[in-house]
Amino acid sequence: MELLTLLVVLLISLGVGLALQWPELRRRTLPSYSQRAPFLGGGTPDSHAWNRYHIRYYPMTLLLIAFEMEMMFMYPWAVVFVEKGLMAVMEMGMFLAILSVGIVYAWREGVFKWQ
Amino acid sequence: MSWLERLAARAPVPVYPLLGIGGERVLYELALAGRVARVDSPRHASVLLVAGHVPAQHHEALKRVHDQLPRPFATLWFRSQPLPGLENARRADDLATLADELVALHRELHTGQRGSSPRLLPDEPPNPWQGLGDDGHGGEGMMGGTPYGRPMAMNMQDDIRDGLTLDSLTFRLGPFYPLLPPGLAAEITLQGDVIQSWTSLSSAYPRALDAIFQTAREQPVSIAELELARARHHLRQLYLALRLAGLESLGLQALRLARGLTPASRINGLRRRLMRSGFFNLAALDGGVLDAEMARRLGGPAARAAGIDADLRRDDAHYRRLGFSPVLSWGSDTRARWQQALGEIEQSLALARRAVDEGDPLTAAPGNVETPCGPWRDRPSPAAGGCLDELLPGLEWDSALATIASLDLAPVSASPPPGEASAESASASSGSHEEGAP
Repeated sequence: MELLTLLVVLLISLGVGLALQWPELRRRTLPSYSQRAPFLGGGTPDSHAWNRYHIRYYPMTLLLIAFEMEMMFMYPWAVVFVEKGLMAVMEMGMFLAILSVGIVYAWREGVFKWQ
Repeated sequence: MSWLERLAARAPVPVYPLLGIGGERVLYELALAGRVARVDSPRHASVLLVAGHVPAQHHEALKRVHDQLPRPFATLWFRSQPLPGLENARRADDLATLADELVALHRELHTGQRGSSPRLLPDEPPNPWQGLGDDGHGGEGMMGGTPYGRPMAMNMQDDIRDGLTLDSLTFRLGPFYPLLPPGLAAEITLQGDVIQSWTSLSSAYPRALDAIFQTAREQPVSIAELELARARHHLRQLYLALRLAGLESLGLQALRLARGLTPASRINGLRRRLMRSGFFNLAALDGGVLDAEMARRLGGPAARAAGIDADLRRDDAHYRRLGFSPVLSWGSDTRARWQQALGEIEQSLALARRAVDEGDPLTAAPGNVETPCGPWRDRPSPAAGGCLDELLPGLEWDSALATIASLDLAPVSASPPPGEASAESASASSGSHEEGAP
């Protein structure tokens, strides 16, 4: 019975979804070609705007991942820390040292410079 | 008429101002009008305001901007001749009633009393469908293809900044781009947001200064009035830069101050708010460093911001008697130019106050006039437009726009557009100064 209800719900939602996509219903007048062109204050483009550009936040995301990874390893480490004691502290110290090289590198690249 | 249309008709009018020769005056008027919202793209506008004469060579560009407004839209031609095909468009000549005209036009448009403006360009693709390639777009796909007959942006030049080679994007911007001076058009190649090359295609339209600067060339004029006109000019320029920086409310404060400027006005409040807003700490103000030769060619505040001690007012005996000596800054970047502008506004107001105290003396030597943009030149300085071609490559886009806003690139025109002088004096006499207490 429950499966049948689910099937009906699925069919209805699929039907509504398809109806919305029906070409006759979707037909809207497109804006004119001059409206679809990029606005350049009366100027014209030479090439498509689809190009590779500089993602300014990229170094910032790398830095975020560095910190995220650190936290991810901290949780299991906290569990084994009780058993392993000082050894676990040293291992985590080495890991953090390697990680901080990444942060020093990011610093050198100017990630912390606010623009 | 639906309730939605009725609401739309009552909303502030989204206007895209397209500025021709002598049209920038409407910006200051509309900014303070209240019922009009200036938008920076025709896509958001319902009224296209063409202010000032547009030369014939820019009619194609004007048509392109006109056709980019979404339907229904209307045009208003302010001191300008409508293009062929738009004979029914509304015209206006009076700056004082311009905002009312815009509101009325917007209402008519949304209540159905007026139809939408007709399209001027044929509705056909700029690069037609070619039926070639994987998807029929006319090329071989992403790498090196020419979809719709227009090439993909490809890496044609070495990167000039950090070796991260990006595709170069070449386009022509202007002459009606709202963040450039009216009339200025350029062919620009960008890699990411760094300008690789900037080639000026047409220079900015000549701009009429306040009528008093023209009078000062022919006969002695009141120093107090001349200095107030100078301060007003700098405050208006500051408004444009603050709007560019996203600090519009601060810009409006500058504009209100400019409208009601008297010798008793002070800019301490404005300076304080500018400091607090962080305007002078913007990274975009780091660029645009002029070398000594370029600064000398540009003259005026741009030269004095680079530490060049050049000001024609020094040759005037009456200015010397008021204790005039040029304000100078060192740094010659965009930040230094805005600090210079603030310094010059304060100096002009102080000079005006002193002149009023000493019985309002006139200028001693008509002829050589130091305008707010430098010494008056009869022919436009060739330096102005061309200097961008050297100055801007290598700058990031925000830095480049901030640099352009800080330079007076428009040549000074000898005669103000008709009706301008009277409008100026009317607004000066009706306004009240904002922070006037000495």
